[in-house]
Amino acid sequence: MELMPAMTLERPGTIEDAVRLRSRGEGAKYLAGGTDMVVNIRRGIERPTALVDLTGIAELNGIAAGPEGIDIGAAVALSEVAAHEAVRRDYRAVAEAAAEVAGPTHRNYGTVGGNLCLDTRCLFYNQSEWWRKSNDYCLKHRGEVCHVAPGGKRCFAAFSGDLAPAALVHGAEVTLAGPDGRRRVTLDALYRNDGMDHLTLEEGELLVALHLPERTAGIPSGYRKSRIRGSIDFPLAGVAAALAMEGDRVASLDIALTAVNPYPHRVTKIDGLVGAPLGGDALDDLRDAVRTQAKPMRTTTVQPWYRRRVVGAMARRLVAELAGEGS
Amino acid sequence: MSDATGTAPAPVRSIGVRMPLVDGPEKVSGKALYTADFIAREELTGRILRSPVAHARIARIDVSAAEALPGVHAVVTGADCADTFGVLPIAMNEYALARDRVRYRGEAVAAVAAEDTATAQRALDAIEIEYEELPAYFTAEDARGPDAVQLHEERPGNIEREVDFEIGDTGAGFAAADLVREETYQLNEVCQVQSEPHAAQAEYDAGRGKITVRASTQVPYYVHLMLARTLGMEQSDIRVIKPHVGGGFGCRTEALHVELVAALLARKARGTVRLVLSREETFITHRGRQETEVKLKIGMTREGRITAVECESVHRAGGYSGYGIVTILYNGSMLFAIYDLENVKYKGFRVLTNMPPPGAFRGHGTVNIRFAFESLMDAMADELGLDPFAVRRANLMSAPGFTANDLMVNSYGLPECLDIVEKASGWKERKGKLGPNRGLGMACSHYISGASKPKHWTGEPHATIHLRVDWDASVTLLTGAAEIGQGSSTVLAQCVAEVLGIDVSRIAVVASDSALTPKDNGSYSSRVTYMVGNAAIDAANNLKALLIEAAARKLEVRPEDVECLGDVYRAGTQDEGLSWKEVVMAALEGTGTLAVKGTFDTIPESWGGRKYRGAAIGGTMAFAYSALVCEVEVDPETCEIRVEKVWVAHDCGKALNPLSVEGQIEGSVWMGMGQALSEETRYHDGLGITGNMLDYRVPTIVESPPIETHIVESADPHGPFGAKEAGETSLANFLPALTSAVADAVGVRATELPLTPDRLMGLLEKRETERRVAARAAGGDA
Repeated sequence: MELMPAMTLERPGTIEDAVRLRSRGEGAKYLAGGTDMVVNIRRGIERPTALVDLTGIAELNGIAAGPEGIDIGAAVALSEVAAHEAVRRDYRAVAEAAAEVAGPTHRNYGTVGGNLCLDTRCLFYNQSEWWRKSNDYCLKHRGEVCHVAPGGKRCFAAFSGDLAPAALVHGAEVTLAGPDGRRRVTLDALYRNDGMDHLTLEEGELLVALHLPERTAGIPSGYRKSRIRGSIDFPLAGVAAALAMEGDRVASLDIALTAVNPYPHRVTKIDGLVGAPLGGDALDDLRDAVRTQAKPMRTTTVQPWYRRRVVGAMARRLVAELAGEGS
Repeated sequence: MSDATGTAPAPVRSIGVRMPLVDGPEKVSGKALYTADFIAREELTGRILRSPVAHARIARIDVSAAEALPGVHAVVTGADCADTFGVLPIAMNEYALARDRVRYRGEAVAAVAAEDTATAQRALDAIEIEYEELPAYFTAEDARGPDAVQLHEERPGNIEREVDFEIGDTGAGFAAADLVREETYQLNEVCQVQSEPHAAQAEYDAGRGKITVRASTQVPYYVHLMLARTLGMEQSDIRVIKPHVGGGFGCRTEALHVELVAALLARKARGTVRLVLSREETFITHRGRQETEVKLKIGMTREGRITAVECESVHRAGGYSGYGIVTILYNGSMLFAIYDLENVKYKGFRVLTNMPPPGAFRGHGTVNIRFAFESLMDAMADELGLDPFAVRRANLMSAPGFTANDLMVNSYGLPECLDIVEKASGWKERKGKLGPNRGLGMACSHYISGASKPKHWTGEPHATIHLRVDWDASVTLLTGAAEIGQGSSTVLAQCVAEVLGIDVSRIAVVASDSALTPKDNGSYSSRVTYMVGNAAIDAANNLKALLIEAAARKLEVRPEDVECLGDVYRAGTQDEGLSWKEVVMAALEGTGTLAVKGTFDTIPESWGGRKYRGAAIGGTMAFAYSALVCEVEVDPETCEIRVEKVWVAHDCGKALNPLSVEGQIEGSVWMGMGQALSEETRYHDGLGITGNMLDYRVPTIVESPPIETHIVESADPHGPFGAKEAGETSLANFLPALTSAVADAVGVRATELPLTPDRLMGLLEKRETERRVAARAAGGDA
């Protein structure tokens, strides 16, 4: 265990106080479950002078079902999402994804906001200070070279949250709060394709809630995750899908990927499958579209080509399963 | 003093009884103190500066700025310690802190003792070092290259040790074979990942010039020797204490730089220094199982009888020797003593590279060779249309006897192990009938019960136990054997309790404190139960003789007429006898506190042969055996492997504590599963990229299959109550059983481990490509 630096810990009771404390000085960071953040602090990746703990804010802590859908507070624990009856019934991909995060203790601490805003990951980045210094740091942090793609000018660190793809296929939105007030955006808009800076959050902004819209409630959906071990591991690749059928034809199909790009990727170019039956050829097309759009790099010890193959295979199988349920 | 019901009192039985470990309550309640838990009133934090480069001359070290920092009490570098250390007297080439040269990334170069961790870190940051980099070698092949720079002057070609022997006539053996096959196997480097990271606390008594060191070690005696050597202190001025230890599995079977650096700092700071390594530093300290390439050739008759074996093993070792010479010798000697082999040729190369030094991981020296051997045997059986069990049975040895390389085998329960797992797994009925993507595989393995020749030959017995009985009638067992969670203190208490016929709870065990306990070589090579257990029996018999003599005096009979019933010593069934306490008081008359000793030594027949240099390695008093069946299911699309069930039978001679034996077998299987399926250290130019428990993937409880253990008791003639090894044998056979089961399920046989989903997918795709090419060549258009 590496050295934990001295810092102050704030525990505000309201979102407004949290934003104010976060903006008060340089070097403050929001903290919720801390399952990823604290590791990064110990490794010297994050060097906050103050942590603003969000878990005491009541508004961030509930799951509310209403006519427009389900709102999940950002500080709600992943284990609570996984066990929530309405989420399990109407947004199954989200419940499945929450249940697949890390291990049981991580899920009891880790939060919805933390998992959606999870830092991107890379073998050359998630290492100790001594390690990164010995390797001349990297493009993402203090360095000038990307060790994954030397010569490249982009960071390929992989977004590895489980929850985001599942929420994306359900058309989720998020509410953000910052020094300039609140705004509500699609979950898509929270991310950009840049491993160094994959979140579109403004300085001092925090995620308040995840909104799962009523219009996608009950659409058969699911989440599948590839990993070496059945617990603890981040995804090597993850896929969520939501499939609505009308008779034997596809009414709507949404697929999103995680851990194979610097952001949770919504699979495109599958519109051609809508309106047609979902036969073997269609499933193969879907698998190939997924494989084409997944861009895993050497950010883990497992071969990128495998992660690309497996994410396609999982997507195909998942959609076939969902189609089976719908018919 | 018979009891009220009139039935005769009986000695309490302890051997063969399932009982929890004697130190279990402290551990499960969190009261057990590990090295890092010893926090002195005035203590300094130790911290180590590690080399960022893999191979370099140290041109300059300037510690003046670090020394000048307020709160810094000592800074030490290689200049403070001129003597090398190492576990083998013939290969001590490591320094506690690098002198002049660093040989791997992460090697300790300097260390500080400061009033708190933050100050210690600032001090490390203030140390200036100039490195003149040298070419670095991260593979055995590169380090053996013609122009490679030598890591050590005394190791030409960077070969730590080359072994070359032929026993019998392999040429004739291969000529007599109906089938000869050759294959190359690549085995992963693995780490122990024991729960407790390395730690040491050193307390220097500046007034007396003495030092007390607590260390998380399996070998307090070797630590003691190396402290004396590297500190230049008298052995009698050093006290080594081993507190509770959170697992070892071989990574602590030699003194590590950790305890030496803590002691150097404490002496220089003239105080107490606590040094606790991070998980990453524990990975860097390494001493795991080395990356190995095994080339194996076997000749077999149509009936499955092995006629000849040719084996070459190449190790990618690290920057320093450690146990290396022993490991590469074991690879050769442990080809024997499991099957009846007459003609064997072995070549071994242990190659020094700029990597952290591997060591003596559980199953030391046998696991990788066994994987290759069992795999090829299985593949050849397949080709010959023989059942995997049949091919093993065609090659069984007979015991007692000696192997072709002169290893003594007195007990051999392998045939029974085979019968048991074959039946328990339903092999005959189920093999080949499990449906698609499911499969069964099996394999065998063996291991020693302690090395018969000690590394440091001193003429002393292998093991010594002291028993003390005083006026309070309590029995204290003093042992140097290192309890590291494997249950050594429990088994020794059981041995003494059994001989005396008293309850095990009446034996207080004091272990591993050099000021109190007799010397012991430590906990490695599965030596403790066999050797120290025998010493404990000897000590208990000696104590019992004193008690019987005392009882005889008191009862006014001849000693041979005294019957010991544990709590009662009597002279005939009508005699009320003496209570334990009365006997003890009688024994103390005129002499005071009883201090009794017991010892054990190996017999010369067990010392191995002289047919080649290093042939003593492999010599042991007894071999343990194991047969294992593994059932898997493979997901053909993701290539994930699920271990459905494991059946394992282990011949441990006699299960002194069946509960503990089962735990050891399960742990072995589970650790084998890690190496087979998911564990591997990986490096980026010599910098470990898997130095944490997320990227180094030890299986979790989710992966843990049901393990059905069966104990076979072949009653070794020299073992304590017939016992022999129980904690290592059932690791090696899991690896080949797993790959055989996968071959049975999906038709491809892995020769490279770990068999992660990407590797399996690669094998399946390769087969698919080969099929297509073959179809095209056959004129098809596929």
